[in-house]
Amino acid sequence: MRHDAPVSVISTAGLTMQFGSHRALDALDVEVPNGITGLVGANGAGKTTLMSILLGLRRATSGTATVLGLDPATQGAELRALVGYGPERNVLPEDMPASDFVKHLAEVRGLPTDEARSRASDALWLVGLGEERFRALGSMSTGQRQRVKLAQAIAADPRLIFLDEPTDGLDPVQRDEMLALIRQISAEYSIDVVLSSHLLEEVERICDNVVALDAGSLVASGPLAQLVGDDEGIVLEIVEVPDRPGALDEVSSSLTGAGFVVRPLAVGTIEVIGPDVDVVADGVRDAVAASGARLGKIVRRRRRLEDLFHIAAEMSS
Amino acid sequence: MSDAQILDRGYRRYDGERSGVRGAVRSVAWHTTRSILGLGRKGRHKVFPIIVAVIAFVPATVFLAVTVLFGEFGDEVRPEYWEFFGFSVMAALLFTAFVAPEAIVRDRRDGMFSLYLSTPLTKPTYLLAKAMATVGTLWLIIGLPVVMAFIGYTVQSQGPDGFPAWLGVAARLLASGFLISAIYSAVSLAASSITDRRAFASVAVIMLMFGLSIAVNLIVEEGRMSDWLSLLDPLGTPLEIPARMFGGESEEYAGVATWAVALANAAWLLVPSAVIAMRYRNLEAV
Repeated sequence: MRHDAPVSVISTAGLTMQFGSHRALDALDVEVPNGITGLVGANGAGKTTLMSILLGLRRATSGTATVLGLDPATQGAELRALVGYGPERNVLPEDMPASDFVKHLAEVRGLPTDEARSRASDALWLVGLGEERFRALGSMSTGQRQRVKLAQAIAADPRLIFLDEPTDGLDPVQRDEMLALIRQISAEYSIDVVLSSHLLEEVERICDNVVALDAGSLVASGPLAQLVGDDEGIVLEIVEVPDRPGALDEVSSSLTGAGFVVRPLAVGTIEVIGPDVDVVADGVRDAVAASGARLGKIVRRRRRLEDLFHIAAEMSS
Repeated sequence: MSDAQILDRGYRRYDGERSGVRGAVRSVAWHTTRSILGLGRKGRHKVFPIIVAVIAFVPATVFLAVTVLFGEFGDEVRPEYWEFFGFSVMAALLFTAFVAPEAIVRDRRDGMFSLYLSTPLTKPTYLLAKAMATVGTLWLIIGLPVVMAFIGYTVQSQGPDGFPAWLGVAARLLASGFLISAIYSAVSLAASSITDRRAFASVAVIMLMFGLSIAVNLIVEEGRMSDWLSLLDPLGTPLEIPARMFGGESEEYAGVATWAVALANAAWLLVPSAVIAMRYRNLEAV
């Protein structure tokens, strides 16, 4: 196990990036511990800008950042020798065999030639491309290219890897395999991972920590287990029956009138949120009984990453 | 009991030394050199470098062969050392237009530029690696033929008299070849830095080097203008470096002072370098 070095893999304080009149990052205070961290947010949220600052490729307008205990602004080259990076772009040198590609980048990251060659082979076996390692990158599928990008990111034995949309262009089965692979790399080889993604569902599936950005501002940051999970709400499904048309509307307006937040989820299904789950449950019981609606399902609501963005939007508006 | 054992290597830790920025520059320079020359790539990528090499080495080989075969007669028709550089100019032009752009255009197109900058390399060290590869490879075309001829003449006992004189000629040949290679590389890389298409880069290099050269020569000769205008010729002006180093001067630059030749060559090196630096300063890595 190697999650031995700094407990805080990434730390920023008041990190701000200004492009003319546009503020790409707004005074970010972030602490990223060991494990897999999901960097989430819509396009333009500031994920790429943050990654480029953390890799030492761009200087922040103000604020500080440390990665693996190093300052990316002044120790960029030293830091990048310890870091792997898997870019979002799926374009790779067409006529280069996968093994040469991975070996070359391992050499550039500082490994001796013989070590780079053997580690390139090991990394390609690890990502499931052992038999395909001498194939030209141009002849590989999108899924295989994504795996090659992962292999080159880990071949030089980094302590931390940045993966930018690593499941982009993959079908559901390939996506599951890629996520399992990332999980395996982090768990078995103790390589910390920062995974940039706009797919909240996949972040929820594999990440230990989350940094959520919206328009350059920090929406949420911390262990995933604390940010998502059961919350103070209930999801309610009403079965449509001929003798009670409009029962769902009646229940909804009754609960809204009682001060609960009610949101439609799907046909016949609503979620009800209140200050305490017991109070919500009592309110739901009363509203359903009063309307005579027939219940299909009642479960405790689970807070998702998506809700963090809704809450941030509601707060800012 | 047997001592035999099966080792499961697999993915493992690396705790050895890392070569840092210097190793990264060396690795990228060597990789780029191989890529430019088509080494480790399909046959079609080797064809053009081979053609260019043949064009570059034929004149020096012929003159050397004449000297070997005909002795003193060969010595009479033998050109000055600095004149050998002019024989390689067409090969150099083909190289700078059609081969050298490969050094940087491809990286921006196939994502390698982003990947390189996620390693210990920075934009300046990345460009240094690319310049080393391009200048080094171009030197093989511009500088190596004359060095080969020089060594050939020395072996035939027709080189400079005495070791100090020999060393002086060798140093001037190496320096001239390096400077010409550096200037041609700077022009080629500057033209290549403004486009992501290799074909456009080739056209830009031909327009800049060959087109401008022809235009300047026409204006000077047909328009009976001052020889000083020849300094605007990016193909011919660097070739004046060895001429002046060896105490000669070519016809086109007959009335031009040596300090002006030096200044013009410095400009032909620095202005394209500034263009490359500006272009890459604004290029997003991630």
